[in-house]
Order: sequence, then C-alpha cells, then structure tokens
Amino acid sequence: MWNEKLAACVKDYSSGVLTVVDETTGYPMSVRCAPQMDTAREVFIIPDAPLFTAGWRGKACLLFHRHNDRLEGLHQLVVRGELTREDGVLTLKVGEFVTANGRSDTDAMPHAGAPLHMLQFLLLGRRKARAYLAKRGEPWPPIPYDKIDRALVEDAQKKKQGK
Amino acid sequence: MPMLQLPPEVADVLRSFYTCEVTTVNRQGQPMTWPALAYFDEPNGQLFFSVSIAFPVKAQNARRHPQVSLLYSDPTGSQLTDPPAVLVQGDATVADVLDLFEPRIKGLSDLAAKRQPDSGAFSSNKVARRLFDWYLFKRIGIAVTPRRILVWSNRDFSRAPHTVEVANVE
Repeated sequence: MWNEKLAACVKDYSSGVLTVVDETTGYPMSVRCAPQMDTAREVFIIPDAPLFTAGWRGKACLLFHRHNDRLEGLHQLVVRGELTREDGVLTLKVGEFVTANGRSDTDAMPHAGAPLHMLQFLLLGRRKARAYLAKRGEPWPPIPYDKIDRALVEDAQKKKQGK
Repeated sequence: MPMLQLPPEVADVLRSFYTCEVTTVNRQGQPMTWPALAYFDEPNGQLFFSVSIAFPVKAQNARRHPQVSLLYSDPTGSQLTDPPAVLVQGDATVADVLDLFEPRIKGLSDLAAKRQPDSGAFSSNKVARRLFDWYLFKRIGIAVTPRRILVWSNRDFSRAPHTVEVANVE
C-alpha cells in the first residue's frame, strides 16, 4: 500500500539498495541504484539499471538508509513489492512501505533527541521481547550486570589511558 | 572455521564500512534488506551481526532460509578512499547470544562503541542498561560463512561485478 508520508521521506535519498532472490541458488542479490519515484503510478522506476540486474524479476525490495560519520542520524525505510520490466525499464510495483521504528509517518530511528519517540520504542521493544520469550518457552538467562559494569569501568580506564 | 583469503581492498571494506545492507528471505520468498553493523570475524572467516530478541525477523528468516547476503555499498565514516562495493553471499547459522563475553560478541560491541561514540552516554547509564536490556543484552547472533563474493571496483554498479573466489587459509 502506498504511504504518502513515507514516500515523501524517499525524496531525501539519492540512491537505494535493490534486492531480489536468485531462484537458482536461493541467495539474495543486491545492487545500489538510483530509483525514481512515480507517485501517480505508485511505482519506482530504475531507468539506468545496473548491468547486474539483467533478468531480475519477481519479489523485490528497495532499502533506503543513511547515517552520519558518527553512526548517528539513522534513517531507514524499505519498500517491498514486485519487480517487472515495463517498456524495457525496471519497475518496482509497490506492495508496502516498511519502517524499523514501528511508525508509519517517519523513517527516523529513535534517538535521545526525540524522547517521546524513544519512550514509544522502549514500550514496543519490551512488549515484543516478552512475546519472543513467551514463544521461546524458557526464560532468558540472568544478565551478568556486575560483570558488565566492571567491564565498562575497565574499558573507560583503558580509553582514558589511550590504550 | 579457517580464515578467508581475500584481496586487501575487499578485506578493508569488510573491516571498515560502518554498515552493510543485510538481506534475509521470508517464508513467502520475499527478500527484506536492512542495514546492520557487521563484525568481520577474521580468525573464523565469518561475518557476524546480531539482532534484538524484540526484532527477531532477520534471525527467524535466516533459520528457515540460511542463504543470506551482505552488501557493502555505503562507505560513510569508513575513511577509505574510493573503496569498491562488495556483495557477500553466504550461509547463516543462528543462535541466541548467551555469553556476552564471547570474543565475537565483544568484537561487535567494541566496534559499535568505536563507530557510534555518542551511544556511550546511553550504554553507560545503569538505568538505561536495565530498561533497554531487551535491546542491549538479549540478542540473537547470526554468523555468515561466505560462499561467493562479488566486487564492483570504485562502487561503479554500471559495470559488471567481478567474482572473488572464496578461499580459506587453514
């Protein structure tokens, strides 16, 4: 299903990663390319498709993501759909926009600068983790917080000493 | 598991790119690609990443369909000059991370701390560590053994990639 707000986020990217599955081997194949969004037809077209995509068809996805050089400012968004060739142009018919943040209005990942978003992510994560553990059927082993605390202190000391 | 014998520019990419684009395949045969921070476990010739138990889809997919791929196409932050793009296709093994001090878990968390220095303020906070235990400490590890590696020189995807044979050093 087309999503206007998430489609608007795509305009901030100059390239994306297109992926299909190689039916003969079962392995995924990906390339970075420069898709163009056609909002009227609700498709993405890839006019200058990389050579490697010759023959690509079927279920596909397009990932858009970015971060800065401190691995902050994380944004990510996947468009999944069906890849075809229309008039010789590689075309992704959009099935769904998917985010990794549990939201349908932004591709921004939770961060300390957006406390409400962070709180929503915390609650979502705790709920989903409980569901995973219920399915797993046995509790997760206790977290060794004392050992972790000691390791963090040691790491901080090493960092201070420039090791 | 033996080390991989790789051209130096390919090994540099696996060591230095901050993120890669990991694809797993779901039950319906739909590929799903998400960015991930992967640790190049050089002694074991594998690539290793992990997911929180709250968001286990990549791990569940890889359990059912072990053929996965990692594309290294965004050099932001890597400080490499004009590196190639690298696609690694490989076989995944999946297991809950029960020992947080295992070398590759430590390697991955050290890598995250180095590449994302601002996260230190978060992970060094005792309250945050407990509230986000499901994210920081309850994780599923995915180790990928490369089977085929494709390389695009200068990250020029308009050209055909060349294949690097996956050779191991015993």
